[in-house]
Amino acid sequence: MRDLINEIWNSVRNNRLRTALTGFAVSWGIFLLICLLGAGNGIINAFQGSSDRFVTNSMDIMGGRTSLPANGYREGRWITLDRGDLDIIEGKEFNDQVDMVAPVTSSVSDKMALGVKTVSTSMQGVTPEYLDIEKINMDKGRFINPLDVEQRRKVVVLSTKHEKELDRNLIGKWVNMQGFSFKVIGIYHSDESDWRTSAYIPYSTMKGIFKPGEEIDDIYITFNGVSNVDQSLDLENTISSRLKAHHKAHPDDPNAIWIWNRYTQNAQISQGQRLISIGMWILGILTLISGIVGVSNIMLISVKERTHEFGIRKAIGAKPGKILSLIIAESVSITAFFGYVGMGLGMLACEIMDKTLGQRSMNLGFDTIKMMDNPTVGLDVAIEATLLLIIAGTLAGLVPAWKAAKVKPIEALRAE
Amino acid sequence: MALIELRDINKTYNNGQPLHVLKGINLDIERGEFVSIMGASGSGKSTLLNILGILDNYDTGTYHLAGKLIKDLTESKAADYRNRMIGFIFQSFNLIGFKTAVENVELPLFYQGVPRRERHAKAMEYLEKLGLTQWATHFPNEMSGGQRQRVAIARALITKPEIILADEPTGALDSKTSVEVMQLLKQLNKEEGITIIVVTHESGVANETDKIIHIKDGIIGNIEENTTHSAWDGSVMK
Repeated sequence: MRDLINEIWNSVRNNRLRTALTGFAVSWGIFLLICLLGAGNGIINAFQGSSDRFVTNSMDIMGGRTSLPANGYREGRWITLDRGDLDIIEGKEFNDQVDMVAPVTSSVSDKMALGVKTVSTSMQGVTPEYLDIEKINMDKGRFINPLDVEQRRKVVVLSTKHEKELDRNLIGKWVNMQGFSFKVIGIYHSDESDWRTSAYIPYSTMKGIFKPGEEIDDIYITFNGVSNVDQSLDLENTISSRLKAHHKAHPDDPNAIWIWNRYTQNAQISQGQRLISIGMWILGILTLISGIVGVSNIMLISVKERTHEFGIRKAIGAKPGKILSLIIAESVSITAFFGYVGMGLGMLACEIMDKTLGQRSMNLGFDTIKMMDNPTVGLDVAIEATLLLIIAGTLAGLVPAWKAAKVKPIEALRAE
Repeated sequence: MALIELRDINKTYNNGQPLHVLKGINLDIERGEFVSIMGASGSGKSTLLNILGILDNYDTGTYHLAGKLIKDLTESKAADYRNRMIGFIFQSFNLIGFKTAVENVELPLFYQGVPRRERHAKAMEYLEKLGLTQWATHFPNEMSGGQRQRVAIARALITKPEIILADEPTGALDSKTSVEVMQLLKQLNKEEGITIIVVTHESGVANETDKIIHIKDGIIGNIEENTTHSAWDGSVMK
């Protein structure tokens, strides 16, 4: 063993350029692979993170604007949801499929004041179900509860952003919104990538103080019994046609009622993730192949260069197997060493990506998502990839090594 | 039975035009002999040496070395025989450049699987014998031609082979060093009784040996007994 290590060390030390070139090919291959997989994971995680923020079997229903004339009305009529829509959705027809129903009424941005500090915020009147449907993450305190709604309490749930802008200890304090004092009962988590920055107050309070009347801005629902995209589209269409009928809109009008079907969206995102993942692996495998070709190429040159040396070894009694094992042992140690160097650098690059791109967000219009979330590769994948390169590189190097082992000593001695 | 017994050895190279290089070689060499094979280039002497050294195959005939038939051996068997029975000395020394003198000398024992310490001790012993102790850790390119050839001789001797095959051993050396190397070979033959075969085209070198085998156009010509070393008029070796 010690002899073999000595042999390898000797030949590495005496062929610095060749070793460096092989090492570079291997390191670079693994480095690229790790970076690619890391970036891919980052993008996939970012998508995942965005779809994790809501319940996938939910829909957000909104009124739209008609694009077809119907029932004596001209097109271009604004539709606002009302109590009737809520009754239809909560009614018998959808009893089996629809679980939670949460009406929401919003107000436009306005000032919110705490003492002399003022921030601008929008306000949404919600029911307790909203917490679960929108997966709101409470940081401190509590969310709106049924009693708040029943008693039309003037309480408000603010975001961590508000907290940062107004005061560290907001809970229990009173903030002023449009002339009314609201007691802060909870803080929910809202990070850089979150589009939710509203102040939440009880639905009934909203209706009672700021937005009297029938109108409802959004109806959030969750549903069950849907196991594929088609079924979710069926439900979406049934709800849509009932609501259109209620508002005397044309049954085929695509714009009268807007439904954001998160089930379908999630399916699309999953599909996208799959594609990204497949693409990354294809690129990764191509990178690996180029690494392998590099290794075997350099092995070929190296074996050619050393033909004379092998001839000497053979003349004084080296069996072909000894020559073969010497070449293989040498290539395995070089590939392994530089492979792990490349792996280390690749993982470092992933960490750097995490610290830079991982902190930036992208605005998708309806949503804001991080460019990358945790763009790293698991140690197991990294080690597996490196092992794969070592094994494949060795296999690729076997051919030239085998040739070298088979060259007749007399021919090898003649080579210079 | 002689140490080396060649019977009707034929060898043809097939590189486009078939080239009949050895045309029925019959030769006996006894244990302890110091012989030279002389011939012009193209006479087949190198081919003969390669066959004797189990570096090349022959087509027909038989070759017995120390009673063993050397024919159609596998690569690894051939390597084993070369390792145990033959010591090579080449014109261009053929030392491995990135190994020190002592490592070069050790190498044949490495392929025999001799433990490191034992191997090293033995290599040092042989280097001492050839007066190279202080050069043991030097690389070949730090040594003179004569020193390099002496390292190669030490490497050839270390396995205690049946025969030493020297292919133009003085070909790359100046005349003074040439004489020294030939004296050394002569001494090894006389004192240790080692069988040595020198292939050369130089009369001066051949004259140092006890028997001169002339080879011409692939057949053995006359075999000169040369115990008095008078086959050559004694003018400058080169």
